[in-house]
Amino acid sequence: MKRQLSNIALILIATIFFTSCEKDLPTYLEYDSYAFSGNDETGGTWNPILINSGADLIIAAPNAVSSSEYQAELADMKEAMGQISDKQKNAVAYWTNNSVNRWNEIALELAAKYNLIPGPNPDGTYTLPNPANPAGPPPFPFAHPPYASRAFAYLSVAQFDGLISAWYYKYTYNRPAPYQQDESINYAYVPNDIPSYPSDAAVVATVAKEILTAMFPLEATYLENLKTEHLESLILSGGNVASDVTAGEKIGRDISALALARAATDGMKKAQVPKPVSDSIKNAAYARFGWQWDNLEIPPRPVGLTPLFGNVKMWNVANVADTRPIIPPSMDSAELLIDIDILKDYAANVTEERRRIANFWQDGLGTYTPPGHWNRFAKEFIVKYRMNPLRAARTFAYMNMAIMDGGISCWDAKYYYHYPRPIQRIEGFQTILGTPNFPSFTSGHSVFSAAGAEVLAYIFPQEEALVNQWAEEAAMSRVYGGIHWTFDATLGTKQGRDVARYTIDVARADGAD
Amino acid sequence: MKKSLFNLIVLNFLIFFSAAHGQTPSDELMMPAKDACILLNYEFGGFEEYWEGSTLRDNETVAKVNRTTILPMVAIGIFDKLNLYVGVPYIITESTDPNGGKYKGVQGYQDLGLALKYQFINEEISSGEFSVLGTVGFSTPITNYLSDYMPYSLGFGAPELSYRGIFQYKMKSNIYFRTSLAYLWRGYTEIERDYYYNNGSYYSSFMDVPNAWNFEGVIGAWLMDNSLRMELNYWSLKSTSGDNIRAYNAPQPTNKVEMERVGLFVHYFVPSVEGLGFLAYHNRVVNGLNAPKMNSTGLGITYQFKFIK
Repeated sequence: MKRQLSNIALILIATIFFTSCEKDLPTYLEYDSYAFSGNDETGGTWNPILINSGADLIIAAPNAVSSSEYQAELADMKEAMGQISDKQKNAVAYWTNNSVNRWNEIALELAAKYNLIPGPNPDGTYTLPNPANPAGPPPFPFAHPPYASRAFAYLSVAQFDGLISAWYYKYTYNRPAPYQQDESINYAYVPNDIPSYPSDAAVVATVAKEILTAMFPLEATYLENLKTEHLESLILSGGNVASDVTAGEKIGRDISALALARAATDGMKKAQVPKPVSDSIKNAAYARFGWQWDNLEIPPRPVGLTPLFGNVKMWNVANVADTRPIIPPSMDSAELLIDIDILKDYAANVTEERRRIANFWQDGLGTYTPPGHWNRFAKEFIVKYRMNPLRAARTFAYMNMAIMDGGISCWDAKYYYHYPRPIQRIEGFQTILGTPNFPSFTSGHSVFSAAGAEVLAYIFPQEEALVNQWAEEAAMSRVYGGIHWTFDATLGTKQGRDVARYTIDVARADGAD
Repeated sequence: MKKSLFNLIVLNFLIFFSAAHGQTPSDELMMPAKDACILLNYEFGGFEEYWEGSTLRDNETVAKVNRTTILPMVAIGIFDKLNLYVGVPYIITESTDPNGGKYKGVQGYQDLGLALKYQFINEEISSGEFSVLGTVGFSTPITNYLSDYMPYSLGFGAPELSYRGIFQYKMKSNIYFRTSLAYLWRGYTEIERDYYYNNGSYYSSFMDVPNAWNFEGVIGAWLMDNSLRMELNYWSLKSTSGDNIRAYNAPQPTNKVEMERVGLFVHYFVPSVEGLGFLAYHNRVVNGLNAPKMNSTGLGITYQFKFIK
């Protein structure tokens, strides 16, 4: 009996010990409302990307705070605040006073959700996602890195332009926030002096809903619900009355329409080509260089990923060929033979450090992709340096333009040179990462990462050494994983930095520095 | 009686070591104090199909995945009613050639497993013998193998605590029926990235490995003057939470895993050599959720001796 009791005690102790370790794993960046490092009162004069100036988007002049209309809105707001539920309180806390980060996070999550490569049909063919039938199967889109980079770029650029316009009207009309006028209103966030008409967060939410619905059409209802919750939380926070929100929505809708008009004709629709076109691209490379990349999957995919993504309209580079790297080593060159030995050595000796690096930066299928990884870093810096929503949107906009331009430049090189992957060139080679369905030279991770790092180093000079080290590690991670040559990584890093300079030159002249 | 002690050990070894490839996890027998037994087991498993969610599919990216497990284990009789088990499997995984993924397989030691088994009831009744036992097991990775490298990963990479109840009824005809039910508490596995998707974003380098229930039912018999034991078994595992493998995507440790498996097990005790036995088994997974349709065959050698005179 005594032993029975001690046995039971052992079980209980062990149970308590282990269950006490249970904790919630974070599903988003946990940060509270914070005091902005500055208000950027002249932000309305900055140069936008898609329009000529913030004044190009039109909203009506607001009612004066003394008007009966405004007073009625204020009373409605206070009544809603008086009846706030716990769920609504949680929503207010979640969205914070810089919701640019939250919508970026949502975009990353959708990228991860849709970053699934279609598998083969039973007869060995592959069906591509079809925007005309988004439900599929397979569902549309396949949010691969080029697709994701483009979605993030349009989201960020439209938010940035919309916020420049919002700032323009905020400091044109100078209508103070409700809590600035009425001391009985308990503002949910850290107070600031930024005028509240139009609501910047309503711009951010509306743009996100419009752009992300276009990019992820199956998520229309999900996004609409999030937007509704977010707009409601603006009023419940004590920071906006209904007309602030309505005006912000109008700016959001108008700038989104312009952004989506650009997206409709940027060439992305033609990026995934039929097999005859793909074959002609491959044959041209073979005629030029004497090599070609082949897909080695079983069954083989007839066409690589977006062969004409290199033709997509760039944001800040006029001619993609200006950013094309030098020709990679020929198949029997000493330089390539050295690389083959390096890759064989890495494959035979998977050290803990190289494995960790390969996996940390993998950002492969089912994740937010390398562009998403850099958005995550940007978000963390934005909170660390307490940027206001306009500054935050500017950071994302320039970084994501540079990343997308980098991707376009990279894809131009990939299909121009059509360079084989290590598993194709090295007989019997095995890897610890999955080999992607596109040519090797240059490495997409390297270009995306270097472009992202370059812009982050420009915006956060204190972080320059860190982000550059990250970019170089991300580039080498692909070599450690066995799926890229060293020159794919090193020249890809250089390419990403070069491409980003075009965007940084634009940023330096936009009036924000 | 003594011969059957070997069986006890074998039947216990994979409760905590590798649920996917385990033998029947438990039986009613106890080894006397001061006895020890050594097992060396070799298992060859493989699968060409797996359940992606509830859909059975093949995948030429991984082709056929083979999994070889070498398990050395020792069992010690601490008291007549309390036995200790310790073992560490060495596992080798790889895809057959040709395959479309060209992934490198993995090999190495997996988890250290420890278990204590206690006999609560062992009573002669008119028609036979009735036993109730309880086992507490603990296992934890002893190498830094990457759990987030499925289907090649050596294990799920997290600590596990198991609480098992065992009930057996043995008839005078030497036919017996046994059932056991276990709750498997599984902790977090540390991975090498700090973002993953599990029905939503997770910003963490830890994955929550779902807890699980494990059930087993056995019909067995002692034959050939108690030198041969044969068993037919049904074994099932059911995670209490988790997500599905996504379309044409790799599994991950957060997946909700369900498996139903049937198996045949024999253990032969060499009459002419005191303490020596050989065992063989074959298991087939017949139904599952987010699980490999694994067939596995094992061969082992057992040797029992008194470690304190």
